Amino acid sequence: MKPLRILMLGWEFPPLINGGLGIACYGMAKALSKHAEVTVILPRTDPEFRLQNVQLTGIGNLSVEEIKRNFSQREIEITYEEEYEQVIRSYRKFSEVQTIPASLSPYGEQERQSQDIQLNKLIPETSVQKVKVPKTKRLLISDEAPPDEQIANDIQVFNEGKLYDEDLTRRVFNFAQYASRIALQYDFDIIHAHDWMTALAGIEIKKLTGKPLAWHAHALMYDRGGPSSRGMVYDIETHVMRTADAIIPVSFYTGKIIQEHLGVPQNKIYPIHNGADPVEVFHVKKRFPEKLVLFLGRITGQKGPEIFLEIADRVLLRHSKVRFVMAGDGDKLKRLIEEGAYKQVGNKFHFTGFLGRDNVNKLLAMADIYCMPSVSEPFGLSALEAAQFGVPMVISKQSGAAEVLSGALTADHWDVYKMADQIVELLENEKLCQDLVQQNFEDIKHLTWDDTAQKLMKVFEKLCYVA
Amino acid sequence: MPSICFYFRAHQPNRLKQFTFFEIGTDHFYEDDDLNKHYLDQVSESCYLPTNALMMELIERYEGKFKICMSLTGTFIEQMEHHRPDVLESFKKLHQTGCLELIAETYYHSLASEYSVDEFKRQVKLLEDKYQQHFGVKPTALRNTEMIYSNRVAQLAQELDYEAVLAEGVDWYLNGRTPNQLYQAPSSGIKLLLRNHRLTDEIAFRFPQGTLTADQYAFWLSQADGDNINIFMDYETIGEHIKAGTGIFDFMRWLPHYVLMYENLSFKTVREVIDTNRVKGIYDVHFTTSWADAQRDMSAWNGNAMQDEALTKLYSMEYDVKGSNDPDFIHVWSKLQTSDHFYYISTKPWGDGTIHEHFSPYNSAYEGYIFYMNALSDLEITVNELREAKKTGKHKAKTTTAPPQLFSQADLEEPTISKKATLIDIKGIGPKYVKILAQAGIDTFEKLINLSNEDWDVLEKEHTGIIKRCQKEQWIQQAKELAD
Repeated sequence: MKPLRILMLGWEFPPLINGGLGIACYGMAKALSKHAEVTVILPRTDPEFRLQNVQLTGIGNLSVEEIKRNFSQREIEITYEEEYEQVIRSYRKFSEVQTIPASLSPYGEQERQSQDIQLNKLIPETSVQKVKVPKTKRLLISDEAPPDEQIANDIQVFNEGKLYDEDLTRRVFNFAQYASRIALQYDFDIIHAHDWMTALAGIEIKKLTGKPLAWHAHALMYDRGGPSSRGMVYDIETHVMRTADAIIPVSFYTGKIIQEHLGVPQNKIYPIHNGADPVEVFHVKKRFPEKLVLFLGRITGQKGPEIFLEIADRVLLRHSKVRFVMAGDGDKLKRLIEEGAYKQVGNKFHFTGFLGRDNVNKLLAMADIYCMPSVSEPFGLSALEAAQFGVPMVISKQSGAAEVLSGALTADHWDVYKMADQIVELLENEKLCQDLVQQNFEDIKHLTWDDTAQKLMKVFEKLCYVA
Repeated sequence: MPSICFYFRAHQPNRLKQFTFFEIGTDHFYEDDDLNKHYLDQVSESCYLPTNALMMELIERYEGKFKICMSLTGTFIEQMEHHRPDVLESFKKLHQTGCLELIAETYYHSLASEYSVDEFKRQVKLLEDKYQQHFGVKPTALRNTEMIYSNRVAQLAQELDYEAVLAEGVDWYLNGRTPNQLYQAPSSGIKLLLRNHRLTDEIAFRFPQGTLTADQYAFWLSQADGDNINIFMDYETIGEHIKAGTGIFDFMRWLPHYVLMYENLSFKTVREVIDTNRVKGIYDVHFTTSWADAQRDMSAWNGNAMQDEALTKLYSMEYDVKGSNDPDFIHVWSKLQTSDHFYYISTKPWGDGTIHEHFSPYNSAYEGYIFYMNALSDLEITVNELREAKKTGKHKAKTTTAPPQLFSQADLEEPTISKKATLIDIKGIGPKYVKILAQAGIDTFEKLINLSNEDWDVLEKEHTGIIKRCQKEQWIQQAKELAD
């Protein structure tokens, strides 16, 4: 049997990493390359960075000519399913949405989603209930490349600033437009897109080529904004969930949200857990006598930093020989610093701001207890890292990590009392800590990217060879 | 016939370095020595040296008719001792003219009057000693840090045997009365000189924007009501806050000329004011006032939760810190009291906020708070160790116990040589240093004196920031003296 050819659409990739997504895509691409031919299209890559058996293409790294070549001046043939004719027509408009890179934020950071309305109009309401037997048809459309200046302008966006900057919307549209054309020059059997940023590109490639689309859900708007959040990201997510042939959430927890909250039929959902690359574990001796409880992550509502502060406050009432450290940066940082000051825990509760990898590892090597009180955490790679470093942990039940680490103490994210109790228990019970750490070591032995890749291959094969 | 009383406050804080979480427990030196030296050099060149020269010139030219008052904080004098003895020398020369009256304040430019009466008194006395050492005088008037004043401060001043206090003339306590006359604090004999903030701000804030000239200003002064106009400001205003390019030096150079052209105007020092002027009113202040921000209260330093917490935590250590009886350690703790640390943590917006930011070495108030609390946490670890040591020590020896003694003045004086002097008797070596030295096998004077340069380098490397080259000769010399 010929090896499968996978077209992966990613956003973050080493060395340009912001959070867990980059690490996961890297781990998966590497492990998948043992079973299949993998091509990855990214907003930009580091030309120095290479991966064996994996072809990396960064749109920002291409020249205008290279991109133009992928648009055919003649009419091209596309195969599509009849049901989506409407989608294709509107979708072509989709790519032409004009966004203006203006910083209009009359009410601050949180309100910066002014393009939503435009988009809602453009996303067609295809009905899921109308099940039709898919027919393939051939359609001739003319596909003209935009003017050179516009291409240069569009791809330049990827080379400027951070991956998630103010004009993220524009990046997402540009990525969909160009990645889909670049994809045409490759032969592949399946499209593997990650998160909402690459979802539009995945959908368009599916339309253009008729190849099955597997959409990997690392995080949903539901996680970041709660059950009632709506908006552009939510719309793209629901759109891709309807369109994709398979949805691969990183945990049963997220799978359940997709099924129950977002109403996607169960037979499309294949939860597959992330793995963890082995790390070099070391230990750093603390220079202070107190035990150290660690919070690691963006300081945003999703990660539950306020909950951690509440927990710290309660633990400190009962236990004086303990310090808490909150590592990371985010929109809630200033508020939390002040709240800590109100609670008068500033001498035991420390903030580090954003830390590089080395310092994060140093903290993991110092920590006595790891705490992840996330409100909704699809997976939580950092919990696995803590387990690798042999740190006992208290994590929220609303996380994927809680499904795979049986040595972790868990509680509902809102249950501050219980988590505080668990931390006090860990502080006082050395034996318990050792047992839990040992249990976690056993659990993470099976959590490898190879394992993840094997499960992924099964899903891909099912999608490709069904006929 | 109003007189004019010029008072300048000269101060430099010991700014902290960017003390991150990873430094807690590893680094016990909190100050950014390089940065502090940098600022001292900068302000010395822009303000202290040229302004001292200008004042000297004016005093000489007007043969005693021009005079000023000034206070120098302990932290500032210390910095000059270490880095810029030439600047200190120029202050001394200025003082020798007899036309500069020194005003007392707190050694560490702290908010102690509001948080610890003992600490406040200790610091005022410490600065008295410093003045005695360098200038050979004891001031008769007191100015509390940043003009922080209430009836309580007057009470404290009286307990410390001062005759007068300098304070802010706050409009809502003056109730329409002029600040340009001598007041008295209720229920104490303390006389009060109140700052005329309008006329002061004409120079201190509005000079760079305006077209103020010396003759215009002298005209305003001559038209003022009352007996004595108090112009109190930062010494750094001249040349540093307001740069030389604005013409501030020429303004100051010509001001006495125009002032003395009016027959009814003259310059007086605080001493002369309280000796010659009659008390014309009672200034009754029940809530703390200061010269800072539009609120004229304590909110510049304790207006938000972060400032509040930092202050509370700092002063809650007082008992244990003083119980250590280790002058070096107490000094480290005291330097954290400098009001500037809290000023940087202010989150006030608009005008006042801009001024707070102007002075801050940090990117934001939050950063200032984090570094400060980290340093304080490090200090707290030492405090806890000392407390533990004390407990276990007491338990083993079963000695009877005096409660930890609060710090007394005697502790700061030269160590008396007991029959068996040990390393700890060397000035500059506290319990912490004894421990470090003991770990390196140095426990007698002999070993310290015979320590080779290479060994010293090793020590210095292992304890970066704690053991320093400059300490070596001082220690060895003292060790030799004590060994004899």
